[in-house]
Amino acid sequence: MKNKFLEIKNVDFIIGGKTKVKNASFDIENEGDTLCILGPSGIGKTTILRTIAGLEEVEKGSIKLNGNLMSSKDKHVEPEDRNISLSFQDNSLFPHYTVEKNIKLGAEKNATKKNKKLTFKEIIDFLDISKILKKYPHEISAGEAQRASLARSLLTKPDLLLLDEPLSNVDQSFKEEIQVKLKKILSKLKITTIIVTHDSYEAFYLGNKCAIVLDGQIKQFDDPYNVYHFPNSIEVVNFLNRGILIPAKVTGENSLENKDLGTIKGNFIKHYPKGSNVKLLLQPEDLEHDDKSNLKLEVVDRKFRGTNFIYTLKTNSNLLIPVFVHSHHEHQHEADEKFGIKRPINIDHIVCF
Amino acid sequence: MLKNLNIWVLSSLLVSIGVLIPIFTVFFSFFEETSNYYQILKDTFLFEYIFNSFILLICVLALTFIIGTTCAYLVSFYKFPFSNFFKWSLILGFAVPPYIYAYSLTAFFENYGTAFTILINLFGEGEYNKYIPKFDGLLGAVLSLSFSLFAYVYILSRASFLYQSQNLIDLGRSLGFSKFKSLYSLILPAARPAIIAGLSLVAMETLAEFGAVDFFSINTLTTGIYNSWITFDDLAFSNRLSFFLLIFIFACFIIENFSRKNAKYHFNSRGGFKHKEKITLTGKKSFFAFLFCFIIFFLSFLFPLSQMLYWTIKFPENLFDIDIISLTLNTIYLVILSSIVLILFSLISNYGNRVSRNKILNFLSTISISGYAIPGVILAVAFITFIAWFDDNVVKTLGFLSIKKIFIGSVLGLVLVYFVRFYSLAFNGIKSGYEKINISVDESSYLLGYSKKKTFLNIHIPFLRNSLLFVAILISLEIIRELPITLILRPFNFETFATTAYISASEDLLEAAAVPSLFLILIATIFIMLTSKYILREE
Repeated sequence: MKNKFLEIKNVDFIIGGKTKVKNASFDIENEGDTLCILGPSGIGKTTILRTIAGLEEVEKGSIKLNGNLMSSKDKHVEPEDRNISLSFQDNSLFPHYTVEKNIKLGAEKNATKKNKKLTFKEIIDFLDISKILKKYPHEISAGEAQRASLARSLLTKPDLLLLDEPLSNVDQSFKEEIQVKLKKILSKLKITTIIVTHDSYEAFYLGNKCAIVLDGQIKQFDDPYNVYHFPNSIEVVNFLNRGILIPAKVTGENSLENKDLGTIKGNFIKHYPKGSNVKLLLQPEDLEHDDKSNLKLEVVDRKFRGTNFIYTLKTNSNLLIPVFVHSHHEHQHEADEKFGIKRPINIDHIVCF
Repeated sequence: MLKNLNIWVLSSLLVSIGVLIPIFTVFFSFFEETSNYYQILKDTFLFEYIFNSFILLICVLALTFIIGTTCAYLVSFYKFPFSNFFKWSLILGFAVPPYIYAYSLTAFFENYGTAFTILINLFGEGEYNKYIPKFDGLLGAVLSLSFSLFAYVYILSRASFLYQSQNLIDLGRSLGFSKFKSLYSLILPAARPAIIAGLSLVAMETLAEFGAVDFFSINTLTTGIYNSWITFDDLAFSNRLSFFLLIFIFACFIIENFSRKNAKYHFNSRGGFKHKEKITLTGKKSFFAFLFCFIIFFLSFLFPLSQMLYWTIKFPENLFDIDIISLTLNTIYLVILSSIVLILFSLISNYGNRVSRNKILNFLSTISISGYAIPGVILAVAFITFIAWFDDNVVKTLGFLSIKKIFIGSVLGLVLVYFVRFYSLAFNGIKSGYEKINISVDESSYLLGYSKKKTFLNIHIPFLRNSLLFVAILISLEIIRELPITLILRPFNFETFATTAYISASEDLLEAAAVPSLFLILIATIFIMLTSKYILREE
């Protein structure tokens, strides 16, 4: 049987004597894949990275890289012997060296390793840090420090690259550009990567797989598409802020009924017996606006989001439902006005709990 | 702990235990029998010892507070003629140990002293002695200690004023506070931890002072300890007195530690320190600010320096009575040896603490730095007590030759006790350098494939270079000025500038004490000037 590139089995992730994530199992199947770990602040995402890097020890379970045991209760390979690179969220550049020297220290490691070739200049250009090379860490901004740290990590040619919120301090305007470049370079160099982030869109874009950490456990480990469309628990729905849950009754193979919205059709992702009472996940893109429809709901609020508006509508049972409308729609609705919803309601994937 | 036991942790554990031995010796000796001298003293002098120590302490604290904070306030918030010069020159008082100040004070004001000579030269022959005030006894000791030690309060409160936010000053202004109201209701309370930390250092030094109080023949706990050992040969009683003094000092130490913890709450904005707008003084205010700082600078540094210089010129024969080259070499020898040993072990200990993150080790390090709070006299006596006990109970029992000669009256013994006394200086100096290195820097280094040793040598040492230099100079400064330990433990015929000055002064040959004192002041001044940038925290 082929070994998985990274295999984490039943590990308790502990920091300072405190268990942050319990009995976690996940893996990275192939070399060059990217896994994104998503979760709220303080949940233990960084602890997971630190443990994989070898900075924290493991008391239960095992971590294997390329088939080699790195951490278990009885074995601990020191961080310096793992060839795993971790780029910290906070500035971890050596304060007494210039940015250039800091980055070149990364190049010293595995200098003879040839299979993954990346020149100093390429990485500098890619991260747009040529102007700060002669500066000292205290003379640059947090975002620049983060990029310099990322450059150093990339240059170490690691077997596994761990990035802790790599773009959290980078300016919004520059963030997307870096995301695109980062994805390109990781795939070009086939660097296996784990990225910790709290930005779900960043995770969905960069990751081949996503792990959602909630309440001290890995709640969902799946493709970004599945995480987005088929969240496996109410907690994941709430964390991703994907919509609202409304009460409904299963009326057939492909339909259910809600008191305020009427019949809703689509494909259930999980089978429910006819007549069951469920909670249906209704996402903003599930409903369509139609001025001519006889299903009218009251507008409570309208948020402008650039390409679209998000209307918050109130049903007769006082449920608040979000609906996307393209911002070029011919007219806008004000608060207290009536807002038509197209019938029949069709949802591609019906997610119920 | 055993799981993480490595060479670093083991070394720092040994250093901590080594430093703690003399401290524990004092505590254990408290319960030993003493001669009748204890009873006599309990009935007669003990109260006087404690009373004098207490009065001395209160007066010195009051005076150093007034001088230190006023100078710091003036140079931190105002511009006036020479304010930049006073900013650093006011720390030169450190170059004059209290005992040399005491010699200068006596030399100037004594009957037919320097003041008398000046008056004769100015106004001709006359009976001036009765008009010249006499600064001896307790008053002399208070003045000597205050002018020598006020720099502690000055440096720490100035650093605190310097880092106070401009917002604090602006807030006072916007609330319509007068300058005086801003000072007592905003600036001083905000600097309180720093001022208390400075005063605690003054308190520890005052209680530990031996040279000046001995010169003025004041019976304090420190002179009591020295005399009970030297005159009455009662080591046990000497230790018992030390115990009382230690309790006094530990109280100061706890206060100091407590206020330093608070001092961490001073906020530090990213991008470093921003200079506050200083107010330019004009007219009378400017003159009085200049006058105050000048008087303090004059009294703390120029006065003792010129007195010693005057006597050296007046009695040039004394220059040839002492072997300056040999004194310089002895001093340098002690300085280099002690600095190397102290820095090496403090580095190892600091790194051990850092890599192990072990609470027990951390606790041991915290108590082992208390050596600085313990007067040199006590440490020297405790060291002799311990060596004597170890020799009698362990070495001889095992059938080995006596080790007393190796440790007592030898450079090795001297360096060992200096080590205990100044370990905190080295340890804390390096620690404050280490605190600037985020732990993620170490982790990054491991992840770059550096071992612990390589991280220590390639990452930490280059970063700590300036801190190490600073610590080395600070240790040198202390060792040059140090008196009681050197006096008690030095090898036969091995003198330093400090001991030569003391011996001459105690033989009533103040003129002869001038030459070594002058050299001591000059060398100390050079060291202070080399470190002034760090001491004033402008880096």
